[in-house]
Amino acid sequence: MEDRRIGVYVCNCGTNIAKVVDCDAVSDFAKKLPGVAVARSYKYMCSNPGQEMIIQDIRELSLDRVVVAACSPRMHEPTFRKALQTAGINPYFLEMANIREQCSWVHDDARAATDKALALAHAAVRRVVHHEPLEKRFVDMCPATLVLGGGIAGLTAALELSDAGQPVFLVEKDDHLGGNLARVDLTAPYLDSARDMLADRIRRVLESPKIEVLLRSTLQSLSGFVGNFRAEIRVGADGARTVDVGSVLVATGFREFDARRIEHYGYGRLPNVVTSFELERMLREGRILTRGGRVPKYFAMIHCVGSRNPEYHGYCSRVCCMTALKYGHEIKSALPGAYVYDLYIDMHAFGKGCEDFYRRTAEMKTMFLMYAKGTTPEIVPSGPDDDCEMLIKVHEVLSGEEIEVPADLVVLMVGMEAREDAADVAHLVSISQDKDGWFIESHPKLDPVATTTEGVFIAGTCQAPKGIPGSVAQAEAAAARILGKISRGKIEVDAVFAEVDETRCSGCRMCNELCPYAAIEYDAATKRSRVISAVCKACGCCVAACPSGAIQGRHFTDRQIFSQIEGVLEWASSQG
Amino acid sequence: MAIRANPRLVEELEHYGAEDVAKCYHCGNCSAVCPFSREPFLFPRKSMRYLQMGLEEKLLGNLEPWLCYYCGECSEECPREAEPGETMMSMRRWLTSRYDFTGISKLFYRSWKAELAAILLVALLTGAGFLLFGFRWGGGHLGVYAGEGAFLTTGAVHVFDWILGCVLAAFLGINCARMWWFSIGKDRTLRIPPLAYLRQAFLLPVHFFTQKRYAECGKKRPWAIHLALMLSYTTMLVLIMFFLHAMHSERTVWAAHGFGYLATIGLLGTSIYALRGRIRKEETHYKHSHETDWIFLILLVFVAGTGILQNVLYRVFHLDVAANVVYVVHMMGVVPMLGLEVPFSKWAHLAYRPLAMYFSELQAEAIRERERAVAAAGAPLPA
Amino acid sequence: MGFEPRIVGFLCNWCSYTGADLAGTARIHYAPNVRVIRVMCSARVDPTFVVKALAEGADGVLICGCHPGDCHYSEGNYKAMRRFPLLGRLLRDYGIEEDRVRLEWVSASEGKRFAEIVDDMTERVRRLGPSRVKTLLEADRVER
Repeated sequence: MEDRRIGVYVCNCGTNIAKVVDCDAVSDFAKKLPGVAVARSYKYMCSNPGQEMIIQDIRELSLDRVVVAACSPRMHEPTFRKALQTAGINPYFLEMANIREQCSWVHDDARAATDKALALAHAAVRRVVHHEPLEKRFVDMCPATLVLGGGIAGLTAALELSDAGQPVFLVEKDDHLGGNLARVDLTAPYLDSARDMLADRIRRVLESPKIEVLLRSTLQSLSGFVGNFRAEIRVGADGARTVDVGSVLVATGFREFDARRIEHYGYGRLPNVVTSFELERMLREGRILTRGGRVPKYFAMIHCVGSRNPEYHGYCSRVCCMTALKYGHEIKSALPGAYVYDLYIDMHAFGKGCEDFYRRTAEMKTMFLMYAKGTTPEIVPSGPDDDCEMLIKVHEVLSGEEIEVPADLVVLMVGMEAREDAADVAHLVSISQDKDGWFIESHPKLDPVATTTEGVFIAGTCQAPKGIPGSVAQAEAAAARILGKISRGKIEVDAVFAEVDETRCSGCRMCNELCPYAAIEYDAATKRSRVISAVCKACGCCVAACPSGAIQGRHFTDRQIFSQIEGVLEWASSQG
Repeated sequence: MAIRANPRLVEELEHYGAEDVAKCYHCGNCSAVCPFSREPFLFPRKSMRYLQMGLEEKLLGNLEPWLCYYCGECSEECPREAEPGETMMSMRRWLTSRYDFTGISKLFYRSWKAELAAILLVALLTGAGFLLFGFRWGGGHLGVYAGEGAFLTTGAVHVFDWILGCVLAAFLGINCARMWWFSIGKDRTLRIPPLAYLRQAFLLPVHFFTQKRYAECGKKRPWAIHLALMLSYTTMLVLIMFFLHAMHSERTVWAAHGFGYLATIGLLGTSIYALRGRIRKEETHYKHSHETDWIFLILLVFVAGTGILQNVLYRVFHLDVAANVVYVVHMMGVVPMLGLEVPFSKWAHLAYRPLAMYFSELQAEAIRERERAVAAAGAPLPA
Repeated sequence: MGFEPRIVGFLCNWCSYTGADLAGTARIHYAPNVRVIRVMCSARVDPTFVVKALAEGADGVLICGCHPGDCHYSEGNYKAMRRFPLLGRLLRDYGIEEDRVRLEWVSASEGKRFAEIVDDMTERVRRLGPSRVKTLLEADRVER
């Protein structure tokens, strides 16, 4: 391997790296390593001049391997791969040594940090020697999309896709479309009707020749990979459909927090303690009555039921505050003599038009009572002289007083939580859930509707609590991403995957079982296993498990990793 | 023991001028900018809170509205236009009505028509009484204003003034006692030694005559106007109650009349300034006007105007008949103003405000003492 | 100067490597003794990697993956979890202290946890003293 011509580039990252790591020492050290033709230290390697330097060196010094000791490869590996490509060599001939996030930023002892940087650079040089040229591959993109969930997000995405002329399979678990929004009366902050919003979308979905709506249906299995998924769907009690789709959009929504879990609110036990969704039903039916049939006079909305409480859910459900304010408007319009209180922790009025809505609600003389986070208001029976059904006791924070307020109807603003079947869905489509059960997006800010499984997108409240505008925006964003893929016709698949060396494979089939993507098939005729490269996600599980050492993971071969191990340790021992 | 919140109280206070209190979301800017607010009375935010929640008992014992001179800075700084200054004003009106044991004050504040009707009734009765006295019992002549054979004899008017004054003092005294009871009297957790009442008693005349806390506001003009009005009024009251003979004498007694003219200029000038301000609505504290504010100012201008008019008619133009007629009309203004406004309406604050300064100082002392005792005992604060 | 352990870390790309990066972004300082090697999944960590690292002179080996249930590849970390006790048994048979090889779960948001694990592991290995695997192997080689 002495004939390799390696270039080593040590980035100072301004002072981010250089103030702890002696970058010149790293490049001086690298110069002496076998195979290294050039080593340089530079202020900003990722800058245009930095990249130009690498490109020029590759061309002029005929470099065939490049090591960049800089930030995390998660940051700039694509940048430098592109530079290699521009210079005319295979982009996979690059290896990065992470001397910023995992070195200069976490160590303050300059000597120890420089030592570590030397070791990492050494390992990278040792590893890059064994890098092989890899080619990106392209596969066909099936234009159909599977949309899971017929709520506002699913409906919106289905319409966007079908309006663009692409086929959609819309799978809904219930016997009707509309999802959670179908249970809502008016919407905050503009008090427009949820029914009107939904009715139009549902009609268009049902009329669209491009959308096939499958009610009472659930996804049973999903196989394949981006552009080429195959979904098994159970339709009704015993029907079944198999559809081929290129993308999957998960828009399965949320379920409401079970108010019974907070026992002392008495939900299910006290007759006039209801959930927000039960009040929605009363409002939609236009009959607001206590269990005893009386018209209530005092309404109390208790916020954050199940939300922002470490015992239940630590997160904010985002829509309940404005929904509670909306009830104030709806109740006072239906019952002008009624009194409305909001028992809240903090008023979260961040959405467009919401602060103004909060103000208008205050002007209607809604009584806002603040209770402390970590405490809960207490519901007690009213006395014989009271003109109300119950009393609510609360330590009111803004006045510092222990107070009680009369209540006829207590409305628990139940938060959102991940659906009970979210784990199953996540498993079926190979996406992850966070600690609260919400599906995880590819990047919380820069890639909010994609997932780590290519071709699978998420939108709406299955991703995190959010309101209608957020759900619709995500659905449209996901549709746009899917349409983008469809419009290219072909999709690029990463060149990194596993391969079986058939001469060494013993046909034990151990890998067949291990592969989480069923990407390895067994050829009974040759008695050998084979990796379907397009399905393989390159986790390397089979590589580690193969008793014959017949499987190699591209770009993570045993050879490469062994060199890296030797690299970090040989350097260390020479110093020790 | 939990305090019952009363959602109706906000509606009740609307009659007293609290229209925007519901908008408050307790950022606390008002208390931060208030030049009068200091420990342990950090108003107006907390008073706003008590009102929003309808904590009637808390509000009734609350002296903070009286510590506010309505400079208007809070309302100017309020991000929600909740008008804390005007809300404090409305709470003063409400407190006045609640200190008053007769219920008349409540009637006046809730219905300007009732107040106006009462004023007219008292004015007519006064007019009828004085005419009857002049023509029937007094033995004087309409053609004589002062001296021998005067239509309204100084002695009789003086006696009438003193009777009226005593009745008013009785009403106001009872109301002040109720104010004491609500604010510091009935609170068992406050221990105020009798000696402290004596020691701090100097606060009453100090605040009455200087209104020095008002002067702490950045804007000095409202304080100056208010002080001029109050001093003019007091001067006039003293002149009438103690020097009526000189005021009503045939010749000009400059020792008395000099003060009288000054007081009249003060009264007319300040009340016209205030009227103009309320019409123009440029200064924050003049932006909102309750009906009682108008009635009060109009009465004041009327009384001061008729007062100086009779003097001019008699002393400059020697028109005794006209002076006597204006005298009767003047009394028709004076009696309802003193008889109705002082104990039952806006005038009452001339007693309540210095009292509140006095009581609040006693209360603050007692609170500090209580905290010291609690800290020494290491026990939690009583609920 | 005292003994500074040399530890090789195998971190899965999706959770633990990202978590280690996060420790950097958040400037959470920790011991400089771990040299990280990135793998796509903790399931890729072949037991021979661990043996190789020890043979090459590592005083400890740290393997980090996604928390159970959070694996980017659905269940790769479960495979790592099942494989680990077998490896442990092998090392025990060779007389290598258990504390020298460790499997931990670090999510992409647990920069602080990563730092704590590195500090703790460094401390433990420091107490164990230098690994004798490499010297013994070399002695063995010379003998033959």
